[in-house]
Amino acid sequence: MVTGLNVRVLQYLDEHEAVDTLHLAELFRVEHQKVVGAVKSLQSLGDLVNVEPLIHKKWELTDEGRAVAENGSHEAVVYNAVPSQGILQSELTNGLPNIKVGFSKAMSCGWIKVTRQGNDMLVTRKVATITDTVQEHLRHIQAGNMSQVDEEQKQEYRKRKLLQEVIIKSYLLSKGKDFSTSVEKAESDLTVEMITSGSWREKKFKPYNLDALGVAPACGHLHPLLRVRAEFHQIFLEMGFTEMPTNNYIENSFWNFDALFQPQQHPARDAHDTFFISNPRSSSRFPPEYLQKVKQVHSKGGYKSQGYGYDWKIEEAEKNVLRTHTTAVSARMLYLLAREGFKPSKYFSIDRVFRNETLDATHLAEFHQVEGVIADYNLTLGDLIGTLYEFFSKLGITKLQFKPAYNPYTEPSMEVFCYHAGLQKWIEVGNSGVFRPEMLLPMGLPEDVNVIAWGLSLERPTMIKYGLNNIRDLVGPKVNLQMVYDSPICRLDKNGTLQTDVQMMEQRWNAIISQLEALHAELQELQISSAGTENVFQEADDKNIEFVILSDPHYPPYSVVILSKLLAGRYRTEISTHVHSSVSVISSDLQSFFNVPLDSGTGSYVKIKLIWKNVGKDPLLIQCPISNGTIAGEVNIARYLNRLLEQRPDPVLVYESKGEVFGGQVDTWLDCIYKSVIHGSNEVCSGIIPALSAVLSKQDWLAPSMSIADICFWSSLKQNPHLLNSTYGLKKWFEKCQHVWFT
Amino acid sequence: MKTTEKQMITNEQGAEQSAGASEDVIYRIEVPANRYDLLCLEGLVLGLLVFQGKLSPPRYKAVTPEKGSVQKLVLTPATQLIRPHAVAAVLRNITFSQESYKSFIDLQDKLHQNICRKRSLVAIGTHDLDTIVGPFTYDAKPPGDIKFQPLNQDKEYTATELMDLYSTHAQLKQYLHIIKDSPVYPIIYDKNGVVLSMPPIINGNHSRITLNTRNVFIECTALDLTKAKIVLDTLVCTFSQYCADKYTAECCEVVLPDGNVTRYPELAYREEVVSVQKTNRYIGISEPADKIAKLLTKMCLKSEVANSKEEVIVEVPPSRHDVIHACDIYEDVAVAFGYNNIKKTFPKTSTIGAQFPLNKLSDQLREQIAQAGFTEALTFCLCSRDDIATKLGKDIKALPAVHISNPKTLEFQVARTTLVPGLLKTLAANKNMPLPLKLFEVSDVVLLDKEAEVGARNERRVCALNCNKTPGFEIIHGLLDRLMQLLEVPRSSNKDGIGYYLKAVDDPAYFPQRCAEVVASGQVIGIMGVLHPDVITKFDLTHPVACLEINIEPFV
Repeated sequence: MVTGLNVRVLQYLDEHEAVDTLHLAELFRVEHQKVVGAVKSLQSLGDLVNVEPLIHKKWELTDEGRAVAENGSHEAVVYNAVPSQGILQSELTNGLPNIKVGFSKAMSCGWIKVTRQGNDMLVTRKVATITDTVQEHLRHIQAGNMSQVDEEQKQEYRKRKLLQEVIIKSYLLSKGKDFSTSVEKAESDLTVEMITSGSWREKKFKPYNLDALGVAPACGHLHPLLRVRAEFHQIFLEMGFTEMPTNNYIENSFWNFDALFQPQQHPARDAHDTFFISNPRSSSRFPPEYLQKVKQVHSKGGYKSQGYGYDWKIEEAEKNVLRTHTTAVSARMLYLLAREGFKPSKYFSIDRVFRNETLDATHLAEFHQVEGVIADYNLTLGDLIGTLYEFFSKLGITKLQFKPAYNPYTEPSMEVFCYHAGLQKWIEVGNSGVFRPEMLLPMGLPEDVNVIAWGLSLERPTMIKYGLNNIRDLVGPKVNLQMVYDSPICRLDKNGTLQTDVQMMEQRWNAIISQLEALHAELQELQISSAGTENVFQEADDKNIEFVILSDPHYPPYSVVILSKLLAGRYRTEISTHVHSSVSVISSDLQSFFNVPLDSGTGSYVKIKLIWKNVGKDPLLIQCPISNGTIAGEVNIARYLNRLLEQRPDPVLVYESKGEVFGGQVDTWLDCIYKSVIHGSNEVCSGIIPALSAVLSKQDWLAPSMSIADICFWSSLKQNPHLLNSTYGLKKWFEKCQHVWFT
Repeated sequence: MKTTEKQMITNEQGAEQSAGASEDVIYRIEVPANRYDLLCLEGLVLGLLVFQGKLSPPRYKAVTPEKGSVQKLVLTPATQLIRPHAVAAVLRNITFSQESYKSFIDLQDKLHQNICRKRSLVAIGTHDLDTIVGPFTYDAKPPGDIKFQPLNQDKEYTATELMDLYSTHAQLKQYLHIIKDSPVYPIIYDKNGVVLSMPPIINGNHSRITLNTRNVFIECTALDLTKAKIVLDTLVCTFSQYCADKYTAECCEVVLPDGNVTRYPELAYREEVVSVQKTNRYIGISEPADKIAKLLTKMCLKSEVANSKEEVIVEVPPSRHDVIHACDIYEDVAVAFGYNNIKKTFPKTSTIGAQFPLNKLSDQLREQIAQAGFTEALTFCLCSRDDIATKLGKDIKALPAVHISNPKTLEFQVARTTLVPGLLKTLAANKNMPLPLKLFEVSDVVLLDKEAEVGARNERRVCALNCNKTPGFEIIHGLLDRLMQLLEVPRSSNKDGIGYYLKAVDDPAYFPQRCAEVVASGQVIGIMGVLHPDVITKFDLTHPVACLEINIEPFV
């Protein structure tokens, strides 16, 4: 929203060239954050204002500093605590805060003196009056009179923890290309009012963000399995099939088994495979004549069949079951067809069937069976094969194979396999066959009528299509509705189940392979060219190498010294140290450590200029001669120096020249040191040290032989000597290294 | 031949699976459930050799020994109470090797599991004939009166003790139920009272066969005589090749309680004459008679062309009991020819397709409900009694539910009588989805119905619900109004015979005063309302739900 504040900002800018938001905050007497908010809202209106981020450093008193500003510096407090006649030191030290600091400061200022008096010391004033400049300075700073205190003193007070530098982010505002004091918000959208009034002509409109997603339409969704069902439905209708009334889940054994010439002792009729019904337990209404014929053909044969030769029992046929296949309905339809006068027919159904089977990721107790049936005079097995090709080609499947199988009600029987190019195997997609005469003739169908049929589950192709592995992700109450929301429309022939999915997979696979190949070729080329650069480097070798390493005195890169010593035997090596103005003092230890006489090699020289500067944990190596960027971090500088070393014969310390495996091992250790020891939190660091120490208790070096990993680890240990206390073994290793590298 | 019944090379695992696997060729052979002759290596090898033409189909025969020396198995009348049939045969001068002995035992096991239906229909006993003396008696006695040393035991047990002993036996315990509660148990003795076996549980130790057995007495007791004959024929056909007189078995006489005598094994050959034209027409090929005869002979069905040249005379051997009709012969022709070599044709059958009207209406409504912003669920027809009763505040006894007698888990106790529980479970599984959730399902419930042929019928229902911070009865109501509009059912303002209206009703599944029956054309077609908080809680939900469920069959 456009508030008064942003108008004021604009008005101010109208009269001035540029302004800092901090200044505006002071001017308007509002919180700086509010001004920033106003600026942000101005930014959203277009190029009204130019906004540049600014960073301000500001001196601020610490809590201690504020106390000093109020009560005087520690040394002044001590001075004031000393009465004119003097006071015993033991008495003075009691009760004053910061007494130690104050006492030593007062001493060094020459304000007080100490004389021995018996076992104690007598403190007396040395000067009559003092001027507490510290307090004065801090009061100036508190009042905002920064210029009254010079920079050096501020640094001094910072060290004394009286002052701190705070960073404040603000923005520098200036007039933008569309600057105007009237804030007219760019319209986000066209409105009825704008159209009727015509005001849209004058309005400015915000451009749309075309990279954002649109709002999902509020819509309903059909279940993916049933969308596949619709597709199958469509295919059957296109092929002239009539849908069977399959809305009867409860069926009796007669129609489910006996009518299909499935003997009563058949294992499928076991309680292990079929759900039997306790209520309504049985059926009693059967067509009597047909029932007799079925009984006859089972027990004694007939219709030129031997039959099964067993005692057929009506009680078995009466048992109600949850239908195990929709073929029970097909049997009813064929019986009806015979009764009503046969005419060639095609039937189909897609509906639920039930099996009392063991459940797993792909099997449920209920699933959908897809079934097609054709009844006509003199149909052949070839007709069945041809029909299956037509049917499956509509699903996008064109490669089929058939395998003999056994089924009590079809003879011949065929299992249908299709080739899944993606999985590179033949997968079973269904079953098919020609119904046995023992099933058809008792129904009263003409003798030369054959019936061909096939069946498959609806779930299986759907799972393949949608890439699901668990059937429970597709069917049942556990289904994730997001899957239902997101699943695409079902176009089996288009980008459908098997073949085309497979083609896509193949394409993707081929793309990946070609990318890999390209990468491989590139790598090889690199190898060849790097072999080339080695030569180039050899030539460049004659030139001298010079570089600067910026290092923080708090984190001295000791490894550079060790590596320079090694370089010295092979190059004329020089190492010189300099101190940047930001760094006040370098300890003598450090100075002497880095002050190594080198330059013992021949030919070209390596000149290392080490500059102490507050750069943090990662030293920076800046290459002068090649000036191709900066190398940051001690481990990376070590890598670089090691490579230089490896340019020369007999490098002593090997890294990459010893092969990829060794180089990889060294890299792993270097990364570990970099991440966990140098940059790791205390926790991480104290966790990794025992592990590294354990490795070094078993072997002399981190890698199979001495490497820069050891040098860098040693360096970081030297930087953090407290780490050495963690284990005795580590300390020993540290001392051993020192011995090896420095004596 | 790419595929034959005998040669199923499985290349089904796929190339990527095979990487790194042994390069040895492994043939996985799938034996069709009715080909008992292929259940052991002997049968498979024979089948393959015959198929390759390296061997002609053997001729099995049963010989009668010299008069007086034929082995007899005498059935007592008591056997009719428990296991009425028995058949027997002798394999003379057989020589077992380690492998063939193992295969012999293995085949019995497979037959027991298979055609014998876990020994319930047929039980096989094989004995060293030289350790026993005929005639043999097949009797049935009370378990307390039976005492013998069973196979692999070192002392005698009574039948009662044996049932105890084997009640924890890994393999045998599964067969005990077959006779356990019978007052008499089947038992076979030799002349001297030595127990051969107590079918279908265990053989006696005395007559056990060994690698050195030279003469084998085979008995099969059965409930189903046809299957007993098949089992006996299968055993005899497969293992008579190890007899001195190859492919020959010795007959036994089975004396029935009525005194009738039957000789086994039958090893009957049957002649089936098939028309060449019919064969070709059934498969969709046009092979000459001699080619068809050749194909069949390869499949162990020795065939020759009839004089007329229009028929092939097929001899069905006793090893091929699966051939019971000419169509079985057609299949063997097709298999030998190769399914994948058959020319594909498309039936000339000209028909006009049609949808089942109820399904057509369902699909039309599904589209419309989805267009109204509802998402379709697909839930199970089977559920627990609690799902349709207790959880909905109803008594299972009062519901017209179909009950399943052999559910393996609670989830399959009944067929659903309402679609509501499935949708509520779907809600419960999708608690992380943003509200409102609007779900529907158009599917069948199953209801008891004495008028129906099987005593129950399906009913096609539409169920829809709205789940949100408030129930949204008006949303569900709006959907009903929309459905009625689509079905051209007018709203009946005066609640009379024509049109639809809501009638307040109490239902334990719904919140009081928030439930109504849907009446259309004077008929109650469903119910709608705000679900009772108890129902919500029992389905592990927290948000209010308004729900509608109507029968759509009246609108077809």
